[in-house]
Amino acid sequence: MPSPRLHVLPWSQPLIHAVTAWLARGWAGEGPLDLTGTLVVVPTGQSERRLREALASHAATRNQAVFPPRVVMPAELAMLNAPAVGVATKSELLLAWVQTLLDADFDALREVFPKDPPQRNFAWAARLANEFIRLQATLTENGLRMADVPMRAGENFPEFARWQQLGELEAACEAVLAEHGLYDPQAVKIAFARNPAPPNGISRIIVAGTPDPLPLAVKVLAAYAESGLLVDVLVSGPAEAGEAATLFDGWGRPVPEAWATRSFSPADFAQRVRLCADPAAQADVIVACALGYGTPGGKLDVGVADGEVLPSLENGFARAGVPVFNPEGRPLRGGSLYTLLAALAELVTREPSFASVSALVRCPDVLAWLGGSPATLLAGLDDLHAKHLPATLAAARAKARPGVVANGLEEINRLRALLLVGVFPENVRTVLTEIFKAREFDQARPEDVRAIEAAQTWGGVLIELEVAVTRFPGLAAADVWELALRAFGDSQRFDDKPEGAVELQGWLELLWDDVPHLIVAGMNDGRVPDAVVGDAFLPEGLRERLGLKTNAARFARDAYLLHALEAVRAEGRGRLDLLVGKTSAAGDPLRPSRLLLQCADTDLPGRVAFLFSPAEAARPTPAWMRAWKLKPRTDAKIESLSVTSFRDYLKCPFRFYLKRGLKMEAIDPHKAELDAMDFGTLCHAALEAMGKLNSPVRDCTDANVLRGFLLEELNRAARANYGDYPALPLVVQLESARQRLSKLADVQAQLRADGWVIERTEWALDIVIGGMSVRGKIDRIDRNELTGEVRVIDYKTSDTPVNPVDAHVRGPKRTEDTDTLPEFARFAVGGEDAIWVDLQLPLYLEAVASEYGHAVACGYFNLPKAAGETGVAIWTGYDAEVQASAMRCAEGVVAAVKARRFWPPAELPVDRDEFGVLFPQGAEASVEWPVAEVRA
Amino acid sequence: MKKLGHKMILASAGSGKTYALTNRFVQLLACGAPPERIVALTFTRKAAGEFFDEILNKLARAALDPKEAARIGADIGEPQLETADFLRMLRSMVDAMHRLSLGTLDGFFAKVVRAFPLELGLGGDFEILQEHGVQLERQRVLRQLFARAGGELDEAQVDFIEAFKRATFGAEEKRLATRLDRFIDEHQNAFLDAPDGEAWGNPRRIWPAGSAWLVKTGDTNGATEVLRRWAPGACANEKQQKRWDDFLEALDSWAPGAAMAKPIDYVMVKALEVWAALGEEDVELIIERKKQMVPPEIGAALKVLVREVFRGELTRRLEMTQGIHTVLSGYEAIYHDLVRRAGKLTFADVQRLLMPEAGAPGLSSGGEGEDGRLFVDWRLDAKYDHWLLDEFQDTSHGQWSVLRNLIDEAVQDPEGRRSLFYVGDVKQAIYAWRGGDPRLFREIFDHYNEAAPGTIEEGRLDQSWRSGPAIMATVNRVFGDAAVLARLLPAVAAERWTREWREHVSAKPQLGGQVMWLHGADDEARAALTLKLLSEINPLDRGLSVAVLVQSNDAATWLADYLRREGGLPAVAASDLHVCMDNPLTTAVLALLQAAAHPGDRFAWEHVCMTPLVGLLESGEGLTREVLRQMNEEGFARTVETWLRRLEPVVANDAFSRERARQLTEAAQRFDETGGREVAEFVQFAERHVVRDAETAAVVRVMTVHKSKGLGFDVVVLPDLEGNALSTRRRDGLAVQRTEDRAVEWVLDMPPKLFHEHDEVLAAHVAEAEADAVYEKLCLFYVATTRAKRAMYLITKPVGEKSTSANFPRLLTETLGTAEPGELAHVGDWACDAVFAKGDAEWFEEIPCVDEVVAETDENAGISTIGQIAGVVRYPARTPSGTKAGVVSGAALFGATSAGAASFGTAVHKAFAAVEWGGMTAEGLATWKAAGLGDSVVAEACACLESSGLSGVFAHEPGAEVWRERMFEIVLDGAWITGVFDRVVLNRDATGRVITAAVYDFKTDRVACGGEMEVVARYTGQMTVYRQAAARLAGLPEAHVRCVLVLTALRCAIEVATTGAD
Ligand code: SF4
Repeated sequence: MPSPRLHVLPWSQPLIHAVTAWLARGWAGEGPLDLTGTLVVVPTGQSERRLREALASHAATRNQAVFPPRVVMPAELAMLNAPAVGVATKSELLLAWVQTLLDADFDALREVFPKDPPQRNFAWAARLANEFIRLQATLTENGLRMADVPMRAGENFPEFARWQQLGELEAACEAVLAEHGLYDPQAVKIAFARNPAPPNGISRIIVAGTPDPLPLAVKVLAAYAESGLLVDVLVSGPAEAGEAATLFDGWGRPVPEAWATRSFSPADFAQRVRLCADPAAQADVIVACALGYGTPGGKLDVGVADGEVLPSLENGFARAGVPVFNPEGRPLRGGSLYTLLAALAELVTREPSFASVSALVRCPDVLAWLGGSPATLLAGLDDLHAKHLPATLAAARAKARPGVVANGLEEINRLRALLLVGVFPENVRTVLTEIFKAREFDQARPEDVRAIEAAQTWGGVLIELEVAVTRFPGLAAADVWELALRAFGDSQRFDDKPEGAVELQGWLELLWDDVPHLIVAGMNDGRVPDAVVGDAFLPEGLRERLGLKTNAARFARDAYLLHALEAVRAEGRGRLDLLVGKTSAAGDPLRPSRLLLQCADTDLPGRVAFLFSPAEAARPTPAWMRAWKLKPRTDAKIESLSVTSFRDYLKCPFRFYLKRGLKMEAIDPHKAELDAMDFGTLCHAALEAMGKLNSPVRDCTDANVLRGFLLEELNRAARANYGDYPALPLVVQLESARQRLSKLADVQAQLRADGWVIERTEWALDIVIGGMSVRGKIDRIDRNELTGEVRVIDYKTSDTPVNPVDAHVRGPKRTEDTDTLPEFARFAVGGEDAIWVDLQLPLYLEAVASEYGHAVACGYFNLPKAAGETGVAIWTGYDAEVQASAMRCAEGVVAAVKARRFWPPAELPVDRDEFGVLFPQGAEASVEWPVAEVRA
Repeated sequence: MKKLGHKMILASAGSGKTYALTNRFVQLLACGAPPERIVALTFTRKAAGEFFDEILNKLARAALDPKEAARIGADIGEPQLETADFLRMLRSMVDAMHRLSLGTLDGFFAKVVRAFPLELGLGGDFEILQEHGVQLERQRVLRQLFARAGGELDEAQVDFIEAFKRATFGAEEKRLATRLDRFIDEHQNAFLDAPDGEAWGNPRRIWPAGSAWLVKTGDTNGATEVLRRWAPGACANEKQQKRWDDFLEALDSWAPGAAMAKPIDYVMVKALEVWAALGEEDVELIIERKKQMVPPEIGAALKVLVREVFRGELTRRLEMTQGIHTVLSGYEAIYHDLVRRAGKLTFADVQRLLMPEAGAPGLSSGGEGEDGRLFVDWRLDAKYDHWLLDEFQDTSHGQWSVLRNLIDEAVQDPEGRRSLFYVGDVKQAIYAWRGGDPRLFREIFDHYNEAAPGTIEEGRLDQSWRSGPAIMATVNRVFGDAAVLARLLPAVAAERWTREWREHVSAKPQLGGQVMWLHGADDEARAALTLKLLSEINPLDRGLSVAVLVQSNDAATWLADYLRREGGLPAVAASDLHVCMDNPLTTAVLALLQAAAHPGDRFAWEHVCMTPLVGLLESGEGLTREVLRQMNEEGFARTVETWLRRLEPVVANDAFSRERARQLTEAAQRFDETGGREVAEFVQFAERHVVRDAETAAVVRVMTVHKSKGLGFDVVVLPDLEGNALSTRRRDGLAVQRTEDRAVEWVLDMPPKLFHEHDEVLAAHVAEAEADAVYEKLCLFYVATTRAKRAMYLITKPVGEKSTSANFPRLLTETLGTAEPGELAHVGDWACDAVFAKGDAEWFEEIPCVDEVVAETDENAGISTIGQIAGVVRYPARTPSGTKAGVVSGAALFGATSAGAASFGTAVHKAFAAVEWGGMTAEGLATWKAAGLGDSVVAEACACLESSGLSGVFAHEPGAEVWRERMFEIVLDGAWITGVFDRVVLNRDATGRVITAAVYDFKTDRVACGGEMEVVARYTGQMTVYRQAAARLAGLPEAHVRCVLVLTALRCAIEVATTGAD
């Protein structure tokens, strides 16, 4: 029987060199190294790459070039020469499964679906379809379909009926495909493998360094061998003669029994294996070693057995300025085109949200397309959001005043319109062409090249989907987008390998690496070998029965790989280091790989003690230190003061400066409802209308009429500011405002009946104190037509009623050293020490004195949430002395501001300090304030 | 295998639970249990990891050393075991490592659910949501809930608003989003335990026999009138009169659900004191310290009013409760659709999926189980014979209910080959707030033993391997005094405690140490005493570990800061550190990102301007462009890294800031993995991102008692023991009453004390809840006082003479306070005013100060390089088209023609590849069609073949050889190039030697006439490569290779000249 010829290449030599030499044997270097007609099977894409490079390199030593062999991976073997026509694409297969699942009769499939699925819609079906497709792909490894499982699983198969039904589902899916004239790609592969046509123009086949070809691939190869094609299998292994037969089967697969017990005991085991606390610690060790080489490229490579270490490694190398190359590429999901597309997809929803618009606008290409100053546009959008809280694009458009923001929103809306009309994917292309119309991609710039490649990938996705969607019509736009985004996001982008790069590669690539120093990170159980424990469809027990890859086979493969990696670098030829993580990034404990425990019984206890000891002490935590002190601008002008700013100064002069001088105000892009200020403003609008001179209800004593008026005004103001359809939280807030105003109407009616007439509302005051202009707005001034009394009223909409005295004056705290307070803030009432915290009402009184004299009262009109507490609270005991003291304080504040005395700051608890983020470990300590300023 | 019985172990603090567990595991192995059939579950991943390490180390020790083997053999009652036996067990463990079920409950449940997604009603596989994910999902759900699809609110939204109003009755709320967030935090679990509304605010559930308080009685207006008329004449003075006036007035404006007005409360309390007699006979009320007679008719009227208040309050509470339920169901419905159905589950969701109460099928380890069960043996490749459950007091009933079937099978195994072993300490049950149910401990024991006495054996571990004799003696006195506990605690709590209490013994009687109790008037004084103690003892220099335990994270932060500031001690608040927010460096970088994405954010912008970053900026506009571009292209980690790198010179000598810098990058890396691209979201993530400080030995660790559980320290200081801790009031919020089997019986937003204490049902509930809370607090103190190995210092406020609060200082006073401190009150040389002291004042002096540990040499820390090696040669990789130059316009790239053009181009190439020599033939056409080439492609190819301009390309020359679509590899100018020739024609001389070659490259670009030269310019670099490659492969000088660009659109062939100049 024709069988492959197995050649064991000595594993003291790098596999890639040995394979190259073997392929080039007999080539004298006269002409090109011509390997046309040869098919080489290698395990991975990266090994293919390495082989080509090595061949080119080999030929270059004779100043020649190469006609390379055809190189394939095992999975491709079943697709050689297979007709591409009629085979369903990924999207088509997915859609066929989706249709199958949506049409399925679950009552007939109770073994598979004991419960009805949670939801019978596209999203559910697509998710499950993907799982079934993966399942089919796994079965295909050994040439099986779902329907084959019940028969192949053997005696006492507990899930016989379940797999029968899965087989029925599979058949239904194939029927759906057949309706469209399509074949299931896996079925095509299996059919091909059953009777594989010889590959065109190939006269011999070489399987090189491929320790676990899929069973299906082996089937194909066996058939080729049978048909007379020469098949050679190259495997690197120990040179000892005779051993090969016990270590490998005819296809170069490690024999599990042989490798599972082979002891891995390099002489200096304890120096070669290192425990590291976490991924960051592993990255540290590796980067430090790389730096030790100066230029590590070509000397050191890194195997990444645990993908979790990769981000830390990449960042570590980036920080150290060492170029790296990851042949696996990275998914396009992380790139900017994906972000842009995902944001565009949001536009096709029924009512695109404002949040999605702001995400879209922040895509650099959209921002560039919109033109103008990005800062103006983005700030404008944020401002629009803060003021009007639009929930949707439509609401935002309705609120934007003509200008940059409005134009921007119109442009976005235009994109939306383009997406909504027309046919997929033409409309998508139109929109992208529009966005990118002015951008030029320079093929000399790597980032532009990346962008071009991403765009081309997207183009490919659209073409595939276009066909699929025509075959399976009736999909919702959002579903098509989801498919497109998923397909695009899953595609890989490959960076060019920078010169002198350290290569970061997966475990299975390492056999083909010839670098002298190799460090493998993540040598942990479950990573190397990866183990399947428990599965919804293919648990280990069933895998065994079906001849699929088992944990034992994986273990043998990885044991072989580990030995090979070591052997090639043994005896001073190089160095292999293995890092074992103690915990994952998320803090899960990890165990060392079982491979590292393969040793003689006598060594086992020592190995265990070594590998299961606590990791080396993690980095010691350095003591807290301040990187720098903040140096705020000291030149911000403060030329006038608002009435309310006095409170700020009295609370903390420095924060006053930050707020009123530097005008520091944060933006909350997630703001979803009115803040206290917005709420107050809204209520004020209605109240102002009520008190205006021309107001029809100014003298109204009928609470119901007043109420009607106030609510009408409130609605008007709310609509004007927040549109006709405010979001849910606003509805609730408006309701709250309504309740408060309703109750106020009762109180107001009574006040009017008691003789109180609103003299003025929203009276803008502008007085000069200590040579500085002080501005503010008095909510209202009432005069009693019966008694002639006058009082100044300020509305308060906080949740609990505010007492004017408490709001303005406090007593000293028990432990407080009041001497540290500015003199002007301190005064005495009735022999007791008091401290000014606010001057709002006194300043109002000062302002009205010119018109109303000094015998004016003041107070708050509280509109708290407890309706019963609505009412006017007058500052009792207010007299000329208090007023005089308040004015002294005001003058003190003004003088201090003019003298720019903003230091020292008060120390406030961080959680009650809006500036807390600036002041870790104390405000005063955090800031460098010029000494001269302090003295002044 | 040998039979091993079932066992429950009650283990006191420090008594070696882990030791007992690992012993059990080893014992099972020794008896022949295959390791993969043993399930050992605990709560934290860390504990699970340590447990595993400990088993292996134990086996390794015994496998090496016959003495160890003998000792462990004796410990587990298998004295015959020898090293070889342990070696065998070790090997079996190692080999089965990947199949072991040894981990957390959460992990175990997730594994089961993953194996049965369709059986459990999931749509397929799922992912576990981590904390940040949960937050994001919640925001997404709320957005959806809040969104208005144009026009009117939909019905669900109207209902929602209505319900929200009901739920917040009496305290209407102006911030929906904020409030809702709190609702979800507080009530979500209760909702998920009882999702149908039946249990919520349902009076029939709460008062199955009805409640007298809910019955409407009498005419309130009339009653008010009666009282109003009666009071003036019946009052002894104005003060009394005012009480009644205020009462009636307050009653008028009182709305149920709101805070109770004082005047109402005053009278109600008085009335309820004499409730039974009120209205029946003359009763005396003490109003304003004076007696006031209330005759029956007045009493009756008063009763009507009080009842009305009660009825109003209770009714309102019921409504609010229902409202809360409706609000939560509104939220949950969307959450369920958007999140769980999309396969995103929290660990709590996973557990719930498996709970029989929630309708899940029971789990079975296989064999002949009942139908409808999920057989874990097949899908999980495992049979579970033996169960080991750790920290059992923290197991929730829900968790237990999931395991119950499986464990039942083990306990009831007729042949007794399977077993259960659970261990824990009901005195350390401090996790009730997250579901821990310490009562299960006994219930399970009773359950099995009632059915078959002796099924489970009870074991006790009361010997502490951690604490010395002084500490144990103190603990015994404080926690073992049943009489004092009974006096201070609710009876149920005291009884529960005392029932399981056993005298503790120190297993290390020789261990020197000290216990002392000191008084400090306030926080500052207690902090000062802490500092004083630590400076006296100097534990760090002696190599002793030390912890200061407090009750809250805030206290820990404050105290650690105090110790650092005032004492210069290396104190670390061993709580979660907000590493991105606690220092100027990372906050500045975050501000920079925010300022870039939100240029209107003056706060962020000015913040940036105050930092060294300002020197690195050009303009705001530039910043926005640069940051958004980089962030979109490469993610946050790289973006953050870029800026941190620019700041590096500033922090060159500051190891701390550099550590924070890397922690920010790590946070960014984690965030990038979520796929998020929004700056504000990242800033939020960074704000929440916490890191546990590394557990370095040489620091004073300040932490909460909760975090100290399971740990031991040489020296422990407890300066924060205040509070009304032993008479905990139930907090406001929902009361959830459960049945015996923990099903939710009813839920009620509990009214204030005045109401619940006068209702039997509610009072009973509250009493029970309070007893539970007090019990838990006592556990907390027990945990606190059992952490010390050698010395423990308690510092409390002196208990006032008149103080009645039942708190921990008081418990100390009643148990220790009577002891004479005597002359022992020293700590070293420091004579202190101790209330209580025990042990050796000089205990630490015998422990010498250790010299500075020599820093480990770098050699040990790093991987050394190989000296003197030549690395392998690696060429940068290129393709000929990689040498392409020029720009591509965006429109061309994204337009339909671009994608179409690419595939069109490929197809045309394919067509030409099929042509060996010119001229159209019928077979040629047929091949093209068969290959699936489209009509337009075939037409184009035909046209080209027939055109005169291209005839030279395909013309057959005698003796010529042609390469079609031929791939080559070559090293050129230090680069490795892979390319494909479209078509190369080689001409030979008479001898057959190749003398010239022509390289044809097909370009399908849509070039307009006249645009040729531009195309040629674009491809010159590429053609040069082809020329060099062809020359090398054909063995010709380059001058003998012609390169021809074939422009299919124009049907013309243009020869590209050799370029010396590129
Ligand atoms: S539209 Fe509104 S947010 Fe925009 S600029 Fe005008 S006022 Fe500001």
